[in-house]
Amino acid sequence: MPKFLHTADWQMGRAFSRFETEDGAALVEARFEAIEKLAQLANEYQCDAVLVAGDVFDAQTVSDRTIRRVFNATRAFTGPWVILPGNHDAALAESVWTRAERLGAVPDNVHLALEPGVISLVTQGLAVLCAPLTQRNTYGDLTEIFNTTETPEGLARVGLAHGSVQGLLPEEIDSTNPILGNRAETARLDYLALGDWHGTKQIDSRTWYSGTPEPERFRNNGAGFALIVNLPEPGAAPEVTPVETARYQWHQWRETLAVESDLDQLLNRLQALPEPSVVDLRLEGSVTLAGEEKLVDALSVAEARFRSIQCDRSGLQLEPTDDDIAALKADGYVGEVIEHLRTRQQDDNAEAARDALAILAGLLKDRKQEASE
Amino acid sequence: MKLRRLQVEQLRQFRQPFVMDNLQPGLNLIHGPNESGKSTLVRAIRAAFFERYRTSSVDDLRPWGDSAAAPTITLDFEAQQKSWHLVKSFLQRKRCDLQIDSDSYSEDEAEEKLAELLGFQFSAKGVSKPEHWGVPGLLWVEQGTGQNIEQAVEHAGDHLKSALNSLVGEVASTGGDELIEQVKARWGELFTPTGKPRGDYQKLEKERQEHQQEIDLLQGRVQKYQEQVDRLGKLAQDYERTEKERPWEEAERQLEQAKERYRQVEKLEQEQAREKETLDHLQRNQQLLRQNREQLENLNKKLKARKTELDKARRELEQAEARSPSISSAVKEAKAAYETATKQVDQARLQQARARLEQDIRRLEQQNQTLTQNLETAKKHQQALDQAREQARQNQIDAQAVKVLKNTEQQLNEATIRSQTIATRLTWQLEPGAKPALDGEPLEGQGEKQLLEESSLVIPGVGTLGITPGGEDLASTRRKLSTLEQSLAEQMKTLTVDSTQQAEQRLTAYEAAERALQQSRELLKSVAPVGTEQLQAEQKETDAQLQTAKTELQNSPQPGQQAPVTDAASAEAARTKAEARLAEAEAEDRKHQTELLTRHQTRDNAQAEWQQLQDEVHNPEHQKQLQKLSTELADIEQKQGRLEASLQARDQEIKEARPAILRQDIERYQRSISNLRQTQEERQRELRDIQIRLEAWGAEGLEEQLNEKRAELEQCNRRYQELHRRAQALDLLLTLLTDKRQALTRRLQAPLQKHLDHYLSLLFPQATLEVDEQLRPGTFTRGTELGQIAELSFGAREQMGLISRLAYADLLQEAGRPTLVILDDTLVHTDTDRLEDMKRILFDAANRHQILLFTCHPEKWSDLGVVPRDIQAMKEQGSANLV
Repeated sequence: MPKFLHTADWQMGRAFSRFETEDGAALVEARFEAIEKLAQLANEYQCDAVLVAGDVFDAQTVSDRTIRRVFNATRAFTGPWVILPGNHDAALAESVWTRAERLGAVPDNVHLALEPGVISLVTQGLAVLCAPLTQRNTYGDLTEIFNTTETPEGLARVGLAHGSVQGLLPEEIDSTNPILGNRAETARLDYLALGDWHGTKQIDSRTWYSGTPEPERFRNNGAGFALIVNLPEPGAAPEVTPVETARYQWHQWRETLAVESDLDQLLNRLQALPEPSVVDLRLEGSVTLAGEEKLVDALSVAEARFRSIQCDRSGLQLEPTDDDIAALKADGYVGEVIEHLRTRQQDDNAEAARDALAILAGLLKDRKQEASE
Repeated sequence: MKLRRLQVEQLRQFRQPFVMDNLQPGLNLIHGPNESGKSTLVRAIRAAFFERYRTSSVDDLRPWGDSAAAPTITLDFEAQQKSWHLVKSFLQRKRCDLQIDSDSYSEDEAEEKLAELLGFQFSAKGVSKPEHWGVPGLLWVEQGTGQNIEQAVEHAGDHLKSALNSLVGEVASTGGDELIEQVKARWGELFTPTGKPRGDYQKLEKERQEHQQEIDLLQGRVQKYQEQVDRLGKLAQDYERTEKERPWEEAERQLEQAKERYRQVEKLEQEQAREKETLDHLQRNQQLLRQNREQLENLNKKLKARKTELDKARRELEQAEARSPSISSAVKEAKAAYETATKQVDQARLQQARARLEQDIRRLEQQNQTLTQNLETAKKHQQALDQAREQARQNQIDAQAVKVLKNTEQQLNEATIRSQTIATRLTWQLEPGAKPALDGEPLEGQGEKQLLEESSLVIPGVGTLGITPGGEDLASTRRKLSTLEQSLAEQMKTLTVDSTQQAEQRLTAYEAAERALQQSRELLKSVAPVGTEQLQAEQKETDAQLQTAKTELQNSPQPGQQAPVTDAASAEAARTKAEARLAEAEAEDRKHQTELLTRHQTRDNAQAEWQQLQDEVHNPEHQKQLQKLSTELADIEQKQGRLEASLQARDQEIKEARPAILRQDIERYQRSISNLRQTQEERQRELRDIQIRLEAWGAEGLEEQLNEKRAELEQCNRRYQELHRRAQALDLLLTLLTDKRQALTRRLQAPLQKHLDHYLSLLFPQATLEVDEQLRPGTFTRGTELGQIAELSFGAREQMGLISRLAYADLLQEAGRPTLVILDDTLVHTDTDRLEDMKRILFDAANRHQILLFTCHPEKWSDLGVVPRDIQAMKEQGSANLV
């Protein structure tokens, strides 16, 4: 009985602007590796086919090189690939697909579902009902036609679509490209493979979003998987197995530091993260000069360890303790300046005051060190 | 600090011990002439404090030539409520002993105590230099350095500041200034001195803009790309649909139908045109026939008219012929009248010529007579003229000479009378017989004689009597008399007269002759103005003319018997009139002849035409023709009726088919077909164009580029934000540090400023002197003047230097530091007025400080209120004590 790999939302050609150039490049590279990994998994799990439910490309006009590399990355799996255009790479009159075809980049075993209809993979026992986006956005349900689409006898009916299932997903997801919640049932599908939602998500026993194989945002839950779908016999519920494909884990932490132990806890958690991580920290509350020093050291270590770590400390106040100030040996008017900056952290221009205080503390510390040497 | 006693020994000129005792707590004025040792004493005090006892570099303290000397200084003073006794020896005996109350210190320990007390440092090696002197350097003023205060303040800086700190209770930040410099350096990496972004900070700002521009450009292109894709989609759809529907084929069918209908209408129209032509032909024929008939019918009318014309011409000719005789006789009469008039004119002209000749003869005869008379009168006048000229010539005499002569005679008479009055008169009445002789001239009887000259009277028998006339003028009168007589005689001789009367008669005769001459000349001129010869010639000429005229008259013909009634002019006028009348008559005759000819011609023509028409009308062929024409006309009218009915029926048929609309339909269908085809072709062309364009643009990977650019911008932004935050922080920090430091400086300056103001108000009321950050006197203002101390005059600088030092002394004292002011010959450049003020200031300061004032001009300081101390006197006193 047919077994296939369900994936979607590769978003190839996306740039990672919030990171340093080097990190961004590594994250882009990881997405190509993810495709290779999908091919490898398809072989590993002896899949009959790979179904890609839209948004292979992040944009229509990506470079030729990106197009070629995407198709090259599929090479390891020689079985059929059925690729569906999504909202980012809709099958417009001129599209990334027409270009790919012109370039001659599409291997023979890759089927591009550029028009609504059925792609029959007789050998594999699969009839893939395709609902490609031929406009950037539609407001009608493209899968409705599945209800009346007939497929050859003896082949499993598998739907392939890209859009948001109505009434199930959070509101902020595009309300365009709607898909009926129980489409699998109304269209007598054995399985409905969906794309657009970047986290792996089950809608019902026969309907799944595979999610993106490599995370590219902090917000998605459950990104970084592919689904191995086994259809044991006609009419029976499919066996769906999520397999992890992600290279990098993305973490976004919002922490408030109140007491000293908060910082220690945070640093311990950070320590526990695996190396291929992308971390985004935003700290609020307050920290002592000693704590700030500790934090800066820890971040410096983390920068070297992780793929990327970013820390926004603009909401974090510096609260030097009396001991801190005594240790700085800031007497006379410099002492007054420190006090002034401490109180100014409450004002509108808190950020500048905080930074100024940090600079001043740094200078005083350097001087202390020089003096002790 | 109060110095009580000073003793020096074996020190320069003080080889013997010299003591200066009883120094007062306030002012001490120590004086002595140059070389007396003032400066040596100052040097000794300095050496006691500043020079290390064991130094070998104080050779200047050694008395001249005394290599074995051990210069020693002993000082007694009070400080910190304690009594200090210091003994310091140099060179040969190096020692330092210090006793403070009951505690004794020696050597280095003693020196440390001193330095601590006064606030100075020792030189590590060699002689102590100004930078070691600290507070004493400020308060102990050497000769000629009073005005240089900046350096002294700098050297005493730390001590002053610590004194100020203890006063104000503030702690200046340790190394705060250095910190400010560090912050400023970091700030300077981001900002230009004027506060504008620089370096990376500035560059990033620009790069951000550049990135944004590139992104905008790319975004624009992506949008355009997407629009083109949409257009492509729509076009492709339209093209496919149109290709399937082929809408132009339907239009082509409709076109064919319209064309067929139009062809039928065209056929009808052709038939209609043909019939219309036939009708036209008929109508033209009919018209011609009618014209012919009318022409024939018209001939009879014409014949009648011609008969009338002929009659009229005949009548007119007869009338003209009747007028001919009267016209010929009129011409004859006019000719006769003209000839008569011509004759009369000739007669009148002859008569006129003769009358003129007669008149000429009368005139010439009269003229001849006048000229003959004139000639005779002229001859008479000429004779009278010649006579008068002869008379004048005989009596010619010069009128002027006659006048002179008469004058001379007059004078002579006068002179004679005068001589008679003055002459001696000799009168006598002689007895007869007596025969006296006067000057030889015998006298007799009775007589009288006037004597003008010496005379002698001889009286016979008596003798001779001499008579001499008296009077002065007698001689001259006698001379003049004789001169006049002589002159008279000469003039008469010249004029050839014997007497004056004769001369006058001659003159009268001459003048009469002259007048007669003049008169005759005038008369002659009146009858013969150009001479008698001319007159004679004129007379001859006139005579000749007269003869000619007479001859002419005799020769001219005699006029006829009958006298002419009119003159020549009216005869001429009568002739002209007659001539005109003749011309008129002749013209009338010519006109009449012409008319006669014309009327003959007219009558002949009319006759011919009438005859011709008469023949034609009476021809039988003419009648036949008329009949034939009528038949033909009737036939044509019948045909015409038939044709018109047929035409009307067909016209209706054509109208109903609406050929114009049919033509429009054809055009409409043709255009539609071409439009439909063209649109489709254009669609195809545009499809191809867009396809090619999109392929090219797609190859550029626009959106991927855009993504990359956005990433670059974001990175750029991030870096900029980092720098911006740092810049703001540094700016804030620098501002705060600078502000706080300035506030502190101001607090520190306040006490010093207070003391300075105190002295300054005594010296320059209304002036201000501000203390700068280094606690040095800085900006000076007085009225509108504003400047630095260094810009003042030397004297003023010296004074400012001194009051500043006193202010520092006050400040130090207030902080509990010892103060001793030593002034070595100070204020030498200060004028008398200013010196008065300075004395008040010194006296005031002496209330708080001990002041040692060394001078070589004690007279300048006599009113300082202290007893001056004379070094010289003290030396002698010292020697005396020793002895």
